[in-house]
Amino acid sequence: MAELFIELLSEEIPSKLQIDAREKIKNIIEENLKKREINFLSSKSFSLPKRLVFIIDGLPKKIKEKKKIIKGPKIEAPQAALDGFIKSNKLNQKDVYKKKIEKGIFYFAEIKPKIIDILEELQIIIPESLQSYSWKKSMKWSTYELNWGRPLKSIAAVFNHKVISFKFFHITSNNITLIEGEKKDITKKIKNFASYDQLLKQQNIILDQEERKNIIIKKMNNICMTKNLKNSFNEKLVEEVVNLVEKPNVIVCKFNDIYLKIPQEILIVTMQHHQKYFPLFDKKENLTNLFLLVSNLHDKKGYVKTGNQRVIEARLSDAKFFWDKNKTQGLVKEIGKLKNLSFFNRLGTLYDKTQRMKKFASPVSDQLNCNKEKIEIASSICKSDLTSDLVGEFPELQGVMGKYFANEQGFDLDISSAIGDHYLPTGINSEVPKKPVSIAVSMIDKIDTLVGFFGINEKPTSSKDPFALRRTAIGLLRIIIENNLNFQLKDLINYSIILYEEQNVRFTNTSTTKEVLFFLKERFKNILKEKKIRGDIIDAIDDTRTNYNFLSIYKKCKIINKNISREICKNIIIIYKRASNILYHEIKDKKFEIMEQPETLLFKKDEERILFDKIKEIRNYFSANIKVENYEDTLKMLAGAKPATDNFFDNVIVNDENLDIKKNRLVLIKMFCNTYNNFINFSKIEGV
Amino acid sequence: MPKKKSLKKKKGKPTAVNFQETILNLQKFWGNYGCVILQPYDIEVGAGTFHPATTLRSLGPKPWMAAYVQPSRRPTDGRYGKNPNRLQHYYQFQVIIKPSPDNIKKVFLKSLSTIGINHQEHDIRFVEDDWESPTLGAAGRGWEVWCDGMEITQFTYFQQMAGIECKPISVELTYGLERICMFTQEKNNVFDLIWNNGGIKYKDVFYQAEKEYSAYNFEFANTEYLLKNFEFAELECKSLLEKKLSLPAYDQCLKASHIFNLLDARGVIGVAQRTEYISKIRELAKGSGKIWLESQK
Repeated sequence: MAELFIELLSEEIPSKLQIDAREKIKNIIEENLKKREINFLSSKSFSLPKRLVFIIDGLPKKIKEKKKIIKGPKIEAPQAALDGFIKSNKLNQKDVYKKKIEKGIFYFAEIKPKIIDILEELQIIIPESLQSYSWKKSMKWSTYELNWGRPLKSIAAVFNHKVISFKFFHITSNNITLIEGEKKDITKKIKNFASYDQLLKQQNIILDQEERKNIIIKKMNNICMTKNLKNSFNEKLVEEVVNLVEKPNVIVCKFNDIYLKIPQEILIVTMQHHQKYFPLFDKKENLTNLFLLVSNLHDKKGYVKTGNQRVIEARLSDAKFFWDKNKTQGLVKEIGKLKNLSFFNRLGTLYDKTQRMKKFASPVSDQLNCNKEKIEIASSICKSDLTSDLVGEFPELQGVMGKYFANEQGFDLDISSAIGDHYLPTGINSEVPKKPVSIAVSMIDKIDTLVGFFGINEKPTSSKDPFALRRTAIGLLRIIIENNLNFQLKDLINYSIILYEEQNVRFTNTSTTKEVLFFLKERFKNILKEKKIRGDIIDAIDDTRTNYNFLSIYKKCKIINKNISREICKNIIIIYKRASNILYHEIKDKKFEIMEQPETLLFKKDEERILFDKIKEIRNYFSANIKVENYEDTLKMLAGAKPATDNFFDNVIVNDENLDIKKNRLVLIKMFCNTYNNFINFSKIEGV
Repeated sequence: MPKKKSLKKKKGKPTAVNFQETILNLQKFWGNYGCVILQPYDIEVGAGTFHPATTLRSLGPKPWMAAYVQPSRRPTDGRYGKNPNRLQHYYQFQVIIKPSPDNIKKVFLKSLSTIGINHQEHDIRFVEDDWESPTLGAAGRGWEVWCDGMEITQFTYFQQMAGIECKPISVELTYGLERICMFTQEKNNVFDLIWNNGGIKYKDVFYQAEKEYSAYNFEFANTEYLLKNFEFAELECKSLLEKKLSLPAYDQCLKASHIFNLLDARGVIGVAQRTEYISKIRELAKGSGKIWLESQK
């Protein structure tokens, strides 16, 4: 058993690229080993900004190839063919034998299993594996042809204490590593992973990313504990910072607390995004003027701490300057400046967008039953913060800054919240707006965006969605579902198209409404899938006549999904299938005119009449409960038709000699199925 | 004995390098390394990269090493001298080496020690920052170099310039001189920087200029005249390109670019126009790059 060790030394590779490379290159090497039937016990990969390290342990030093039998020419073939076969496979005459198979008698030979030297194999496998990895972002440098994540300096490759020698572009592999030491650089021969890891440790370099992470978290926790602060840290930032350092150290720093007066989002963004610091909060979740910095060395003279504190102070004083300036710039006055900001080329400016949004207030306030004026004001000024220096500096604070400005300028709280919330939800885990005015503005903005881009045929493709229309659609649907809104989106979409027309925006798409609704429905199916709704139930929503009332479809799916294996649903599905099977067999080849309603005069048996009455009862129930439907009750209602249906099928022969009676019975069954499909398309539900 | 203590402290911290020495030291360092030391280009530019010694010279097969200080003008960054960190005119020290040497990172770190930054004592970080300039049709891969959290240098391997793939690849180092000196001199306000040992400060040299140019950039630049000038520069550039004069043509491209920046600061460029202007300048840059490249074969 032997160990394979590879170290790729380069200039600093960005965190995301590191993670991808250390995982994928390892996988590629493993696959290439498996392809050649070379087994191993374990594999690991590590990364530092300048190093990618791969270790595969428990490899054999040599392996014996499997016995192989090869087929030669037919025995009738000329001698030259046989000679060629022997020569090209380096056989001896005596190794060749004849064997009869289906197509005749052929020459065969057994090739002696070769002994494969793994070291030699690795000389091919390793460069091949490196070459087949493709970086998400790559570059060239100097005069070299190699395309790599960042300039690659050297490759150390060792197997069983020996160098695996190969050439990879301009680089020749060796068994030497280089460490930039404090005084001078250290170059060392690598025997194996253990000695390599030891060597790095002596220089205080922690190779294992997990170990680095633990060190950092432990240090941060300790500091929070002694200072009585909350110890929760932004996960993504931890993950990133871990891959930016090789000698992790955590330093507590602070800034002047006068900056705590400016909106804390600004402070947090400055610290996290721009400087990769961890802001600290007290136990009551209040931001403090302390923060943590993960440095790449031990701060012997305290320079690192003072330096970073100066940097944050400079940045915050800049932010404060802008805050003081921007907060007094009237949001209403700023609307005019939106004429200079494009929403999208053919869809006008952001000013145009806010004007359309404002006009949406009246239909939406009707549906949401909330104050129209507030929606109008919030819609008009919700984009005004985009003209501020602060949002220019921190684009991720759009909306949030608008909220603060509105508060400073004495706008109603509903309005300022709506400005802050209207971009929500921003991701899968992000919250949706909950207050009525916020909901309204957020929905209006999203509908306007979807309709606009679909209208000019800028639609997402399977791989590209440059305007994040998927996220917009999912956001819209989540707002509806999570706030229990009975919304007719179709009307709003049509209204949106009119608003664009009023502004003389030319739509090249003539079926915008249909396409937007279809797009929403497809996204809606994804949401259902994530909520673990069964696939057949999701398919069953396609033909429902609920007119894109997504809340109602959502509730139906949930209730069916919940009850699918319970008696109540089983009964519904059994009677539905029984009816639809008969209908299917009877009308599949023949052309029947299926009327809307059966002719009661043609009923010959009580069971027919009883079933008909039952169906009418269900229909009445549906029309009476169009606004507020209690889906538990609906299920009970549908299942309650079981005795009537069973009696009908047990005692009535559909296939009557009298064609009129037969037709009438089929119409009755059809009516039954249609009525049930009102709820969801039960024909799509798999049997129980 | 408090006196002794303070003396000891002083010994640990060498006196900071003043602004003009910082430039001189970098020139000396890179001059010794083998770079051609050039003087600033005599046309207004937005960054050291725009100097033809970088843009045009990074194209073509011939090796090239140069270093120079370049005043850079960013009209929109003017703050009438009121902001401690922002200026509409500042200095960059630019190094361009083609092809990029294998040990460039090491040489760069060494250069820092000549301007008062010992990289062993500070947290030097190479933070991903891929550079792109839509006006130059240029793109590169690289980092911003952080020193204790402060961005002090932009470190870029050019991949494309003037729309043309670079071959071989040049490396560009752009030192932000004011920032570096604010760091080494421990100043929180750029105007407090020590310019020389004769007591002159940055404020003495540039404060009035910042005030006056901010007023010019934001309030008084004659936009009608600028718009016309943009057109002249564009026309001139195109006619020079026809005559295969890459360097004079490129000068016109630079002029157009600076006029665009001024118009931008005056707030007279709408969004749609903005992209149009940028693409116009890019075309001029591409044209100049193409003609230059032909001359290099």
